[in-house]
Amino acid sequence: MSDDPVADLILSCAAGDQAAFRSLYRDTSAKLMGVLLRILSDRAEAEDALQELYTRIWLRAGRYEAAKGRGMTWLIALARSLAIDRLRSQQPRLGNDGLDLIADTAAPAKTRLVATGKALRLADCFTELEPERAEAVRGAYLTGLSYIELAERHAVPLHTMRTWLRRSLLRLQECLDQ
Amino acid sequence: MTDAPLTPDEADAALAAEYVIGLQDAAERAMTAVRVQNDPGFARLVTAWEIRLQTLNDEYAPVRAPKLLPTIEARLFPRPGRRGLGGALWQWLAGAGVGALLVLGTLATLAPPSAGVVAVLATANAQLAFEVRYSSNKLAVTRVAGPPAVAGRVHEIWLIVPGAAPVSLGVVVDAPLVIDYPRPPEGWALAVSIEPEGGSTYGTPTGPVILSAVIGADA
Repeated sequence: MSDDPVADLILSCAAGDQAAFRSLYRDTSAKLMGVLLRILSDRAEAEDALQELYTRIWLRAGRYEAAKGRGMTWLIALARSLAIDRLRSQQPRLGNDGLDLIADTAAPAKTRLVATGKALRLADCFTELEPERAEAVRGAYLTGLSYIELAERHAVPLHTMRTWLRRSLLRLQECLDQ
Repeated sequence: MTDAPLTPDEADAALAAEYVIGLQDAAERAMTAVRVQNDPGFARLVTAWEIRLQTLNDEYAPVRAPKLLPTIEARLFPRPGRRGLGGALWQWLAGAGVGALLVLGTLATLAPPSAGVVAVLATANAQLAFEVRYSSNKLAVTRVAGPPAVAGRVHEIWLIVPGAAPVSLGVVVDAPLVIDYPRPPEGWALAVSIEPEGGSTYGTPTGPVILSAVIGADA
């Protein structure tokens, strides 16, 4: 046993332990449903994705190792990846559909990040970026916005948005890795 | 901040971040996914970004999930002797995502209890055959009869969980394909498609599916 019960369950799944899989679903499905719903913004689509996600988790459990981060970090990475794949394979979201809602509910990154431990560090590093760019990174991460959608939302050319964010991401990396 | 072009290391770090955050369009994302699979150094950059940004995950509010566990379990752990899943395979083979469908032959064999053979995929005359074996958490896929795919093409092996999209296990060239994998249960299907060198870059078969078998089904 480790201090990471989710990681322990994933490792048991890799060994073919079906009871561990049931425990993993019980302990993690609400969080992962939250991730899928936030990105896909459609209940039926999120439920369908949840089934596919847990199928993948069982199939890929053997690839998990501690170097991939905490168990929950790995699961959320799989969930986000699946949701974004689905989002990108759909028709592009048209116009401002959904974006107003995101803009209305999104507070600036520095006030939304819970200021404890590692989160404090990330919040600190976000404050080193121009607020608009920090918000673009955070919004894209949480809701799956693409470069195209961000450029539209911020009314800048796609190329400009890409250049801004690449530079911002490299600064973020430098700050976080210090 | 400068407008100088990124160095190759910076470009890789930025690409890994874009992939993790999900900023790319479908085509760029698919290309990056291939790199993650084939370039361990780049895959580590991706993992590093997943960990760097993990505290943002605190902002995802939990939502009670529907009771889907029985459905997922039925899909993952089919009861022995359950029938009718072959239909799901055929639905998939006939369905979207498989262009230029051409099934040359299908021969499913039982998984004998001892030998470790999970399935044999072979043409009716056994001129081309692949054997899938399981042993101590590894699956090995070997071409046991017939020639390799023509120049510039490879045989790609797929695992299909009933009702789900196919998952690539990798390509078989001359050496057997050996991967860490739990024993796939009865009712799951295996298929072989012909893909461009390096394998399908789309996560689903793009070339003809030439062989398929349902694990544990009678021939």
